[in-house]
Amino acid sequence: MNLRPDDLELSRCSACQAAFLPSDGPCPRCGGLPRASLTVPSTGTVLASTVVVYPATGWESPHRLALVEVSEGVRVLAIVEGDLPSRGSKMNVRADGATYRARIAPEGARGD
Amino acid sequence: MSVHVASIGMGRYGKRPEGLIDLAVEASTLALEGIGRKPVDLLVVGTMFAQGAQGREPLLPHLAGRLGLESSSGFRVDSSSGTGGMAVHAAVLALESGRFDRALVVGAEKMTNRPTADNTKDLSSSLHPSEAAAGATMPALAAIATQRYIERFQLTPAICDAATVHARAMAASNPSAHFQKAVTVEEVAASRPVALPLRLLHCSAISDGATALVLERGEGPATVLGLGQGFDTLRLVDRKDLYSFAATRRAAQRAYDSAGITPKTIDVAEVHDAFSPFAMVHIEDLGICGPGEAPTWFERGWVRPDGRVPVNPSGGVIGRGHPVGASGVAEVAEVALQLRGEAGRHATAKRPRVGLAQAMSGIGSHNYVTIMGSTGR
Repeated sequence: MNLRPDDLELSRCSACQAAFLPSDGPCPRCGGLPRASLTVPSTGTVLASTVVVYPATGWESPHRLALVEVSEGVRVLAIVEGDLPSRGSKMNVRADGATYRARIAPEGARGD
Repeated sequence: MSVHVASIGMGRYGKRPEGLIDLAVEASTLALEGIGRKPVDLLVVGTMFAQGAQGREPLLPHLAGRLGLESSSGFRVDSSSGTGGMAVHAAVLALESGRFDRALVVGAEKMTNRPTADNTKDLSSSLHPSEAAAGATMPALAAIATQRYIERFQLTPAICDAATVHARAMAASNPSAHFQKAVTVEEVAASRPVALPLRLLHCSAISDGATALVLERGEGPATVLGLGQGFDTLRLVDRKDLYSFAATRRAAQRAYDSAGITPKTIDVAEVHDAFSPFAMVHIEDLGICGPGEAPTWFERGWVRPDGRVPVNPSGGVIGRGHPVGASGVAEVAEVALQLRGEAGRHATAKRPRVGLAQAMSGIGSHNYVTIMGSTGR
């Protein structure tokens, strides 16, 4: 599937219809396995964020993380690019290999 | 079939010159001497890293040899920071099966000989790989959970300071604790940021240490009344929220049900405050107080040794120090000491009849609740 740059790919459980972040496990709500893919706007709202002053071996300090809520209440833990966002900030989230990255969304970004 | 704690061997926690095996032998010897060296037919060892001077160490057979227990059976368990809770549960279940009569349970960890960043990396191995891949650390995720707790109940970050002050005040009366000095709110609030709102004194320390217990079939002042384990999703983003841990709620419900009691019966609790505000989250999840009420309990001193329900009279993980594989055994040991009237200077004002110990793995991915009380004799 071709994602537009401002889209984020999620999974939807075929049994209970819950949306969740794609994973190798069953639906976190009902345990069902079959799921469909859905795309949602990549803009979400910051629920919490922090600066990791003492990162693990292999990471540079300071390292910033944010918990971002996108469509349908789905949450993403993302590496922050740029300054630490405050609670309620809008960020654009994108997948990057096994993880996610987020940066402050430009004014008027598409989101929920 | 009943199982009770017959003897406790509490080694000193802190920065110790000894290696892993010597720490484990020290605590084990104290526990075995406490029962007059009666024979033990099961050895259960809990360690997360099994870190010796030359890297990973074969702790289980090495310890069996050092203690002369080669004729017993044995196994080693690892459940990250909840390892000690798992070790106690494994031993209780084995004794309850009737296959064994007396077990030595040892939790041990050697950590202070390694760089902090290496400990941080290995501790984050208890997180979901996708979240560890984002560079998440235990303090970072604890900081995010604490922010959610503060927001949910309209609190201020100062609650974290109050929790640390309580823990360190308790530890100052516990000769086994890593930290022997109380701290003030000002000192906690001025300590350096680790992952805000968490500062250095809100986070458990990297410590060396070991604790051992002898469990045997029969009844006594510290009989196991109930056990419960509980999981939650390993990936934090899959949880409904982070201001409460389902793994504790599930473990507690199973433990209360198996003991046939309610949270109202608990006279003393030892909970896994790897980060000081988690002591508040835990007593809410255990039903000792209601959701959002714990900060008031700490503020009004209801968790002190003479309060409604004393919490972490040992100093908890924050005050006692956190040799990860040992902490869960120390939590059960502390409750047993209180029930047996052997807690000395850190005894609660009134000797408890029923106590609860809770251990946590990762950020609440699988938790263990053990309820003990006075029965028989």
